[in-house]
Amino acid sequence: MTLKQYFSLVDTIARLSLKAEARRYYFGFWWWVIEPLLYVAVFYVVFEKFLGTRTPDFLMFLIVGKFTFIWFSKTVNYAGNSLIANAGLIGRMDLPKTLFPLAVILECTYRQTAVFALLGMALILDGYLPNAYWLWVLPLICVEALLIVVCGFIASVLVCIKRDFALLINLGMLFLLFMSGVFWDLSAISDQSTQEALLFWNPVAFLLHSFRQVLLWQQTPDLAHLIGLTLLLLGGLALVANGMARYRYYLAQRVVTT
Amino acid sequence: MMSALKLTNVGMRFAMNSEGEKRHFQALNALNLEVNRGEKLGLIGGNGAGKSTLLRIMAGIYPPGSGTVWRAPELSIALLSLGLGFKNDLTGRENALLAAVLQGMSKSDAKRHLSAIGDFTELGRFYDEPVKSYSSGMRTRLGFATALLLDTDILLLDEILAVGDQSFRNKAREALSQKLTEDRTVILVHHAENAIREICSRVVWLEQGQVRGDGPAEEVLEAYAKAA
Repeated sequence: MTLKQYFSLVDTIARLSLKAEARRYYFGFWWWVIEPLLYVAVFYVVFEKFLGTRTPDFLMFLIVGKFTFIWFSKTVNYAGNSLIANAGLIGRMDLPKTLFPLAVILECTYRQTAVFALLGMALILDGYLPNAYWLWVLPLICVEALLIVVCGFIASVLVCIKRDFALLINLGMLFLLFMSGVFWDLSAISDQSTQEALLFWNPVAFLLHSFRQVLLWQQTPDLAHLIGLTLLLLGGLALVANGMARYRYYLAQRVVTT
Repeated sequence: MMSALKLTNVGMRFAMNSEGEKRHFQALNALNLEVNRGEKLGLIGGNGAGKSTLLRIMAGIYPPGSGTVWRAPELSIALLSLGLGFKNDLTGRENALLAAVLQGMSKSDAKRHLSAIGDFTELGRFYDEPVKSYSSGMRTRLGFATALLLDTDILLLDEILAVGDQSFRNKAREALSQKLTEDRTVILVHHAENAIREICSRVVWLEQGQVRGDGPAEEVLEAYAKAA
């Protein structure tokens, strides 16, 4: 299979899955934007109305955080189940095993374009007008996509080895929601070194913070950290993709027999 | 006679984890089998005899736990079955597209084949309805039409003729027999003996992961019927 065939196959599977998903529900495609909006509404009521958070312009702060976080959390969750969900196919054809998580990731990314479009509209309606800092969004999206691919591949392998990992990944996303400053401001941590450590070790927190910097606060993200993270992820991707190719038979056997 | 496939001492053991207790299931046990080029081989045996595992190992989905599998390097191979796993919310046409692309067709080639596949299935307007509205007979018809797209040198057929009503079954056999050219190697797993009798000259009978009988179709089928 050539690289071109591979990516064309990934794209075809992703597009057809989108269609299937949209047909499954009454509101079809609309769910892709309804879901993050509902999250934002609930968080807004709880933290702004009930608890009276002191974060300035909390609504936009929340929208930027949740809309970029949901791409990561949903996609990695779905990608985790992608190998076992295709057991019938894997038991019949010797296809590259990265095909399945990658198709899911692409499918979710197509959906996410609607979420990003909504994010842009919300920002403009609230008076955040496009400026040069917004250009940073492109590299930030690329790095987040890379993070999703690496984590999604790893998740699919783990679930393939033991189904229990699916539950663990689900829980992990909940923990990440709390640990990444989706609905609270990292600068609220009084200890400076804790705050820095969180941004350093948690790439999701770092990316969310960077999105806010460029979209809301007209600040430049930490370029050195961004480059370091990119290199690390590229290395990780090479390692994981290679491992999945090398252990393709083991994966097929796990998928078919468990 | 040149070999197409040769399995030597092939064994396969699966771990089964039932209620926390670790057990093993020996799917194949020191199995030897040689298949010649152009041969039409039938594979029979009860449930759990190891037929599906054997087909998967032959197709290279995964290697055997022990022993070796040799396949003539210049020959292409494919494992065909009806249960490709359709996506219920997609139409028959979309599922056919997916199946064709998965089997290595380019998207534009696949699109050209779609109406021919639709005609073959006799699904009519249902071809553009979601598969979830299909009867089981309609599903298998679509399954058969999309499974038979490949033209590999070795065809491994897993219960592929188990399709719906008599008239479509005849049509399916007709379509399949066009694939049974002299130089094509075919290994057929099927529960109905007359299909095997019709297509295969040699039959291998598997029992508990081992070859219990191997020879001319009539002889082995007779012995199998007696044992049952």
